Formats: sequence, structure tokens, C-alpha cells
Amino acid sequence: RLSFGRRRHREPAAERCPPGDGGSMRCQQVSVLYFARSAELAGLRCETLSLWEEIVKVHPRLAVIRDQVVFAVQQEYVLLGDQLLNLQPGDEVAIIPPISGG
Amino acid sequence: MDENEDTPKDFIKLKSEKLSVDEVAELVVSPYCGAVSVFVGTTRNNFEGKKVIHLEYEAYTSMAETEIKKICRDVRQKWPSVKHIAVYHRLGVVPITEASVIIAVSSPHRAESLEAVTYCINTLKASVPIWKKEIYEDEYSWKENKECFWANSEK
Repeated sequence: RLSFGRRRHREPAAERCPPGDGGSMRCQQVSVLYFARSAELAGLRCETLSLWEEIVKVHPRLAVIRDQVVFAVQQEYVLLGDQLLNLQPGDEVAIIPPISGG
Repeated sequence: MDENEDTPKDFIKLKSEKLSVDEVAELVVSPYCGAVSVFVGTTRNNFEGKKVIHLEYEAYTSMAETEIKKICRDVRQKWPSVKHIAVYHRLGVVPITEASVIIAVSSPHRAESLEAVTYCINTLKASVPIWKKEIYEDEYSWKENKECFWANSEK
């Protein structure tokens, strides 16, 4: 039976994120679900991807700032410790370098 | 007098035009308040011996406004007597000595508005997605507030 939805109770196959590690960007996992023909083509029904790694594949020059940025989703900061992001279609994700307002 | 006629308001604006201290202070004036406290952040002409030509600010506008609204909500929880709050931040090019941010708060007595203004600017620097670029003669630098917990403090 296809299981879909939140994978909170299963650890991602990839390495665990050490608690308190400053590398929160590494830990922002996105769960991707494949259905029907897409599941046949992908060869699997669900997987977790690292959002940051996928972005860096598109823009390799971003790699240097990995440890200095945080994410926002739908204009809310994603806090350290939120390892699994549930993104809805059309969600706006922002990469937020260190701020300097005021 | 019916104080309910003067419902507490938050005035939040991000704009590229020059900011006016008079205009922002005027927004929070209330006949029920004996105090208006104002903070003005202005641009300095130097950083670590380098001459600053001007500053440029950019913002994630929708989220910045949301975060400033949260600051206002927090202010009202901590200082319930605060009446009106105004937070105006300039975007784009800001010449030296001009204001980049003006915060004004009114309250019946001075202690609350003075404390609230301090809280506003300190929290803004820690949480509002606005970025400042310092332009020097030969180079530029994206600044990082020390209040920002994800800044790389090790250089």
C-alpha cells in the first residue's frame, strides 16, 4: 500500500543531522512523492531530498555561503531542528543571508 | 473622554523616499499620551577606516512587513500601555547622514515608550529581512548585524 504524507516517524536514509549543529541548511529535507507514471520513471514512490543541495546543483556558486544562510518558507523562518519541510505547491522559499536592517 | 476613540495603531512602511522624523513622530501622537519616543538610525561616513560613499538597502518586503508586525505585537504584550507604533525603513540608496530607519512610539508616560523603542530597533536588527550594502571608494560590503544569529562571526 502506498504510504504518503508526513514521514516524521521514519528517519531519512541519508545521514542524520547532529543536534545543535550550525549546519541547519544541510538538514532541510524535502519529501517528494511520485505517483503513477512518474513513480515508474523514477523507480521509486517517495524520497527525501536536501533542498539546499538541489538549489546548489542549479547554482554551484552558492556553495560558499551554505553556513551563513537560513531558509524562509511562505515568509516564515524555518527554525533549526525542523528537519522535514512540508512544501505545498506554489510555496515561496527564500534564502536569507545574514541580515543588516536598521 | 473616551479613550476607545483612539484605538492603538501600527504604522509600518518601507519606502525609497527620504524619511521625515516630523512625519513619523506625528503619526503616533495621541491626546492620551504624554510621551512620544523616537529612534532615528542614520548612515555613518566611515567603517574600519574606510570611507563610506553611501548605503544601499534591500528588503524581502512582504516578510519584512510581517516580521515588523510581529515586533509591534510583542511590544503591545510587553508594554500594554503603548498607544501607537511607527516603524519606517528606507530602501535603495541612502546618502550619508540621512535616516535609514525611524521608530516612534507613544505611551501615557515616558518609561514604556522609551523601552519599547529600544526593543523595536534591537529586535528589528535581529529578525527583519532587510540587508545593507556599504559602498566604499573601491569596493562594497554586505553588512551583517551582530544580532543576527546565523551570521558567520568567525572571519
